[in-house]
Amino acid sequence: MATFASIELGSSSVKKPRTGSLNQAQIKWRTGAQERIYNRRLIEALRATRAATAPGPHAVKEAADSALAITARGQSRWSRAILTSRLRRRKLLVKAGGRIRRRRRPRPPQKQDPAAVKGGRVGERLRALGKLVPGCRRLPAPTLLEEAADYVAALQMQVKTMRALADALSAATINSPAPAMEEDS
Amino acid sequence: MEKERFFSSAAMNWQRSEAMAAVEMNCGGGEELPAFLNINWDQSVEQSATAQLESALSSIVSSPSSSHPPPVAAESVVIRELIGRLGSICNSGEISPPSHLNTSNCSHTPLSSPPKLNLSMAEGRGGVPIPGNLFPPANFPPFAADPGFAERAARYSCFSGRNYATLPGSQFGIPETGKLSRVPSSQSLKVDVSPLEVEPRSKLTGRVSGPPTPMETELKSSQEASSVSGESNSRKRKAASKGKGKETPLSSKVAEEEDGSAKRCKLGEINRSAEKDGDVQLKTEQNDTTSNGNDNGDQKQGKESNAKPPEPPKDYIHVRARRGQATDSHSLAERVRREKISERMKFLQDLVPGCNKVTGKAVMLDEIINYVQSLQRQVEFLSMKLATVNPRLDFNDMHQNRGPLQHSFYPIESVPGAFSYAYQPQQEAPLQSVVTNNALETHCSMNPLDSGLRRSLSMQPPPSDGFADAASQLCNFWEDDLQSVVQMGFGQNQEDAFSSQNFHGSLATSHMKIEL
Repeated sequence: MATFASIELGSSSVKKPRTGSLNQAQIKWRTGAQERIYNRRLIEALRATRAATAPGPHAVKEAADSALAITARGQSRWSRAILTSRLRRRKLLVKAGGRIRRRRRPRPPQKQDPAAVKGGRVGERLRALGKLVPGCRRLPAPTLLEEAADYVAALQMQVKTMRALADALSAATINSPAPAMEEDS
Repeated sequence: MEKERFFSSAAMNWQRSEAMAAVEMNCGGGEELPAFLNINWDQSVEQSATAQLESALSSIVSSPSSSHPPPVAAESVVIRELIGRLGSICNSGEISPPSHLNTSNCSHTPLSSPPKLNLSMAEGRGGVPIPGNLFPPANFPPFAADPGFAERAARYSCFSGRNYATLPGSQFGIPETGKLSRVPSSQSLKVDVSPLEVEPRSKLTGRVSGPPTPMETELKSSQEASSVSGESNSRKRKAASKGKGKETPLSSKVAEEEDGSAKRCKLGEINRSAEKDGDVQLKTEQNDTTSNGNDNGDQKQGKESNAKPPEPPKDYIHVRARRGQATDSHSLAERVRREKISERMKFLQDLVPGCNKVTGKAVMLDEIINYVQSLQRQVEFLSMKLATVNPRLDFNDMHQNRGPLQHSFYPIESVPGAFSYAYQPQQEAPLQSVVTNNALETHCSMNPLDSGLRRSLSMQPPPSDGFADAASQLCNFWEDDLQSVVQMGFGQNQEDAFSSQNFHGSLATSHMKIEL
């Protein structure tokens, strides 16, 4: 954790004059506005989670990820995948009455030659990266790298925001609740 | 290919020498000429080529010593080539000062189109009769007995021999000298043609085009090799484009493009070693090609950004083969693909800290994977931490019991904006009511927005004391989208106080303290 505590965020001087979404990924997630928006959404999600009848062990994490995906506004594949999976899971939960049958993908994962095949070590790693980024399993290399860049930037912002929030809240609760906190986050 | 280049340069040089024929005749070695006159020539020598050749030769001729240089033998091969080229160039030109030449084996070359060359060179040359353009499409008969040819050849041998010593590669001597000569000749000649490198292209396309670039005149001999190789590169590109069969309608534009690109190519290669693959693309080039690009849309010619002037590559259609690389469409497409991937990898490298020292895609991908995993683990850890700080409350109990204040404080404390609530312990009752209201709302609705809306709306019935207002303000703070709705529900003055603000954590708390 300590190594990444010093995540460099904020300055937009690193941008390269590049067309397309690559540059925007960096800019987009590093603006203060995005952080605020995400903070807001996160808090909403947390409240919703708190009020949930049976928040699972990963409820907060899922809420945080959903909030992040919403903040991404569905412009990236991984955000859409996150939201879709949440929705699907919730619906399944409701429908199946708690018993979720995860339906396997109808077709077994076949290698599409044009899509994602890249031989050797690089190919292995690309596939591993695809497994990490939600919804990006079988993407071709350039798209996958783009999504990964956006995802990394979003994750950085998420970690930063959540850490600030957690610190603020923990500072609030460390003090006795009655007088509650002098220190703000 | 090399031959063509040499021919063009030789042609240029010869033209210049012809131009200078009237001015001076330094080297008189005409004996070499007859041997070379049989060479067939490439027909597409351009006016510009000849003009440049002339200018180059003129300057060079003026400088070299009158005596023949010793290494005549070394020159002879080059001279042969040069003369061959000159033959093509000068076959239609005539030399005003008729210097006699024993060219028995030379058939009559129509050196009678000085006007053509004169047109190109007249501005600079003035009255010097220059064997002018040599016609691009015409067939060149074997080099005829050009009266001035001997002089030119001799002069050329003089200057070429002189330059051989300086050149590492003798084969480059001629183009180099051509280049060298171009420097001074530019002033005198005012050649309105592209530089030496354009020649091959112009030869291929049959015309010369392209704006003169002063940069070419600046090129030094050391860069001759690079420029020559650049020529070969451009020629390769030309060949590739020809092979695609789309050259004819676009030849003019292609020529313009490649003229520009060749210039850039040269410039780039000046700055780099000859061996390096040079991407040929510059802004001006791209601008030139953008106008042509639409016409060349089908043509698979593209520019790859030069290392020196970086540019976003047009990677959808135009691909230009790099120096020394294959030029078929498959490899070009692959190259575009690879460059896309490497571009994205570079971007990721910037994002992931500590990836600068790592080279190689596999290791870098490893780093990226580790980083993503660690970020995800951090998110998990922080979410667990938030979960402990956000204890789940039993709202039903609170609602019934109006439970101990401590419990009621937790949900408010967990919300950053609600910190201010804790400061007014004396107002517990309304606080609890607010809390229970909030809790009820959140409990009922899964949708945070809806819950917020209900919260804000539910604030109306409760007493409009400070806490209710604070609660509404809190809602505003949390959900900007509901502000309009909330404004409808609440007093305008209260809304105005908050609507313009962008709450964020501590800001809200301080503000609320003030308000409350």
